Amino acid sequence: MSRINKNVILALLTLTSSAFLLFQLYYYKHYLSTKNGAGLSKSKGSRIGFDSTQWRAVKKFIMLTSSQNVPVFLIDPLILELINKNFEQVKNTSHGSTSECTFFCVPRDFTAFALQYHLWKIEEGWFRIAENMGFQCLKIESKDPRLDGIDSLSGTEIPLHYICKLAAHAIHLVVFHERSGNYLWHGHLRLKGHIDRKFVPFRKLQFGRYPGAFDRPELQQVAVDGLEVLIPKDPVHFVEEIPHSRFIECRYKEARAFFQQYLDDNTVEAMTFRKNAKELLQVAAKTLNKLGVQFWLSSGTCLGWYRQCNIIPYSKDVDLGIFIQDYKSDIILAFQDAGLPLKHKFGKVEDSLELSFQGKDDVKLDIFFFYEETDHMWNGGTQAKTGKKFKYLFPKFTLCWTEFVDMKVHVPCETIEYIEANYGKTWKIPVKTWDWKHSPPNVQPNGIWPISEWDEVIQLY
Amino acid sequence: MDDWKPNPLIKPFGARKKRSWYLTWKYKLTNQRALRRFCQTGAVLFLLVTVIVNIKLILDTRRAISEANEDPAPEQDYDEALGRLEPPRRRGSGPRRVLDVEVYSSRSKVYVAVDGTTVLEDEAREQGRGIHVIVLNQATGHVMAKRVFDTYSPHEDEAMVLFLNMVAPGRVLICTVKDEGSFHLKDTAKALLRSLGSQAGPALGWRDTWAFVGRKGGPVLGEKHSKSPALSSWGDPVLLKTDVPLSSAEEAECHWADTELNRRRRRFCSKVEGYGSVCSCKDPTPIEFSPDPLPDNKVLNVPVAVIAGNRPNYLYRMLRSLLSAQGVSPQMITVFIDGYYEEPMDVVALFGLRGIQHTPISIKNARVSQHYKASLTATFNLFPEAKFAVVLEEDLDIAVDFFSFLSQSIHLLEEDDSLYCISAWNDQGYEHTAEDPALLYRVETMPGLGWVLRKSLYKEELEPKWPTPEKLWDWDMWMRMPEQRRGRECIIPDVSRSYHFGIVGLNMNGYFHEAYFKKHKFNTVPGVQLRNVDSLKKEAYEVEIHSLLSEAEVLDHSKNPCEDSFLPDTEGHTYVAFIRMEKDDDFTTWTQLAKCLHIWDLDVRGNHRGLWRLFRKKNHFLVVGVPASPYSVKKPPSVTPIFLEPPPKEEGAPGAPEQT
Repeated sequence: MSRINKNVILALLTLTSSAFLLFQLYYYKHYLSTKNGAGLSKSKGSRIGFDSTQWRAVKKFIMLTSSQNVPVFLIDPLILELINKNFEQVKNTSHGSTSECTFFCVPRDFTAFALQYHLWKIEEGWFRIAENMGFQCLKIESKDPRLDGIDSLSGTEIPLHYICKLAAHAIHLVVFHERSGNYLWHGHLRLKGHIDRKFVPFRKLQFGRYPGAFDRPELQQVAVDGLEVLIPKDPVHFVEEIPHSRFIECRYKEARAFFQQYLDDNTVEAMTFRKNAKELLQVAAKTLNKLGVQFWLSSGTCLGWYRQCNIIPYSKDVDLGIFIQDYKSDIILAFQDAGLPLKHKFGKVEDSLELSFQGKDDVKLDIFFFYEETDHMWNGGTQAKTGKKFKYLFPKFTLCWTEFVDMKVHVPCETIEYIEANYGKTWKIPVKTWDWKHSPPNVQPNGIWPISEWDEVIQLY
Repeated sequence: MDDWKPNPLIKPFGARKKRSWYLTWKYKLTNQRALRRFCQTGAVLFLLVTVIVNIKLILDTRRAISEANEDPAPEQDYDEALGRLEPPRRRGSGPRRVLDVEVYSSRSKVYVAVDGTTVLEDEAREQGRGIHVIVLNQATGHVMAKRVFDTYSPHEDEAMVLFLNMVAPGRVLICTVKDEGSFHLKDTAKALLRSLGSQAGPALGWRDTWAFVGRKGGPVLGEKHSKSPALSSWGDPVLLKTDVPLSSAEEAECHWADTELNRRRRRFCSKVEGYGSVCSCKDPTPIEFSPDPLPDNKVLNVPVAVIAGNRPNYLYRMLRSLLSAQGVSPQMITVFIDGYYEEPMDVVALFGLRGIQHTPISIKNARVSQHYKASLTATFNLFPEAKFAVVLEEDLDIAVDFFSFLSQSIHLLEEDDSLYCISAWNDQGYEHTAEDPALLYRVETMPGLGWVLRKSLYKEELEPKWPTPEKLWDWDMWMRMPEQRRGRECIIPDVSRSYHFGIVGLNMNGYFHEAYFKKHKFNTVPGVQLRNVDSLKKEAYEVEIHSLLSEAEVLDHSKNPCEDSFLPDTEGHTYVAFIRMEKDDDFTTWTQLAKCLHIWDLDVRGNHRGLWRLFRKKNHFLVVGVPASPYSVKKPPSVTPIFLEPPPKEEGAPGAPEQT
């Protein structure tokens, strides 16, 4: 009897567990399919995959934006790369004749579009229409950083991101705002308290982890999987910009506090210097950008940006940094052509290279070349009279975009470490007498140039 | 596994034969040890798989949730909502349907408290004279409007009548007098007060105190009045305490169709009062205008900065006219409000425009000046691609062809370095001195009141040296200084494209407005084609002036220029008169002439190298200052320039703008 009971129990257990398992399997499959879209269930016939959730969501979204005159263009890196690889297919197919869904049906969580906010005429209402079309939309707003630089203005909030979900696929609409310096800016996607954190897998978003800055792209109209969309004319350049697009805002609030403490210098000389330095920086930026040489604000110019969001009027020069691997021999010539003759050249490409160019009205442009070691970066200095070499050490850093005197320029992302290395913990206090050989806390004597090399490594003009 | 074979018996057995199937199983199981073992293992395996799948499922779900949670991280300090004015709290927990209202009126102090919350308190000296009016929402008790009408001064009662007429029926009205409110309270206003049911209002006398609470179009809820015993003294202070029953929310709201526009309208109308038909339930005035677009609009992408203070009714009127102008692009408009005022912001939101508030920094003129600077900087930041900005003020009406006028002339700013601005306002363009809407002038003064600023001028010259807050300067006076203007000129039309209607302002009062602004000519003709725009460029304009002077008829200089007969009764002629002007800055005769012509005479406006151009009796009338003007060469030798003696200096000459 006991044996029978045991068997009955065993059989029952098996039954329930298999029933349970079946349910689990069913549920798991369902779960998987919502995650990856309905890509698994392909329809037969000539138009392959055109019923995928992704494609349908994109199609609806494009219908919405074209009917509501929302000026959008495609910025999804995944799709742009695919488009770039199969560019002929995109160019040659006329509307509707595609037989296979090659781009928009690729399994993914999001499709990213950019909204050119300055071209947008009617902001109102489209949200409601999107919701009527079946989209579930989320709007992320924030205050306008373009007003931050101005004392005590507070405006209505500007939209930064829209996320519109249709079934299992979401459209991430990144709002691109125009900024001074001819570039487009997008904001940080910050989830405020009341936002549903499970609305979409936010972590997988391609844009919005940081604010970003992009060159204003030229656009072109293409037909992708039978849908007319605008994409950047140079999709490769745009995709390449994405990983390096992180933007940091100047610390306007702190800068204001600084000026309350130390008062701004509004003398005619200070204003003239600022104007000249700004023009010099503009010329330098234009020249280097044309050569494709990456540079960043260094030393005093960087300190001016970080501490007071402006050029320090008594700094007397403009300082830029360039990685030595970006050095090109035609830099000197290009600057000469731009009206900035070489003033002096210290060091050589292998060691402690530094270039100085003469700008208008005695404003000097100093370019320091940075050398990378395993755990730090450094740039060199040379004393012309004695041939003494100096070394300035910096912790390693990466580059971020920022806006400075109406220009989009690079600064070290790890700005505070960079500045503290160069100026110490007391960088907040203005110092007018600065000896570049002894004052910086990160300076080290680095021997002396052999006299035989002086002709090469100390060139004064 | 090897010893197991599919049991052929299983399949044929249906559910109906469950019993026998089970028995077979039982039989088999009890008899086949190996199979039994196998089943046991199978069951255990099943269980294991189930558990694994389960765990995986749980883990997956958890990961997905945590991913969504982790990043981007919210910041705590982010939501800093500005404290909005709380509605007067109702006492007790239940829905109380009565407000208790206290109103105080006296010589030096007025206050109004609703349910213990002070909504008005004014005991400042030399300020707030007249009748204070407060409008409450009859359903919520919210303060919807707060006004003071200085009915001691002329025309303020008209403004009060206008305002009270606009208040929707059913609203709760509260009135209280501070100091004096009867001197210029005319019959129309008194009749209106009577129609509201007031007993004492229509009989309000010199220095009486008066407090009133009533429902518009409904019963009076309380009134107190104290007569002044003598001319030199005031009535006793009165304190009125009364209960105001609240009505239901449905009664207080209109039933407009559910559209985006009406949603804006509803939000606006439930908050503020005194905007007339925009909140009318039956036939509300439109808030979207869609004027005709301009063909080839050159100013479509030029940002428009509207500089505003706390004069929401003015702003409302201004934005209406601006949005009705042909060629306007609403998304280019930004309204800059000087201070954290809610009502102007509500007006901006009503029209769906962008509004920016500015924390006040300095006092009086310097404050206006700092507000201008911040607004201009912000405008060029918000529209980094713009080369120009249109600057408007909240007390201007905008002509229907304002943008058409700018579209036709803006290229001059680009092509001619000797230009400082384009302005829509002619300082000397009065009803009797302006005639030709197609005509433009070059003038050495900067009129403001609707003008275009070049970005390069602002960014490179003005912004860096803009007067700092401690310098208490007027921004416009500063801009007119030779250090800033540097000999450059502005383009203006003969007939202004803006109209200055503000009578309450920093440098404004009713008298001043009537004398200098009310009779200003304002173009109402749409689509005026400007004549010969390129002749406004520096050299071309000189050629133009010389030919104009050559063909002009010289007036009879023996006549009195102030007399109407100085100009013949003709039409369409060009006349010239020569006046004495010893040096570039000698405007003695001009000022006297301006005074008797009843045009702007407070300082010199509208001159171009010692030449003034205006219209008299439909004739073009040129005035040349001799010998300072280079056009003096056109004076026939026989003509003696007119000289007018300034009147002997008197203290407090009429016409000087009073600083309030």
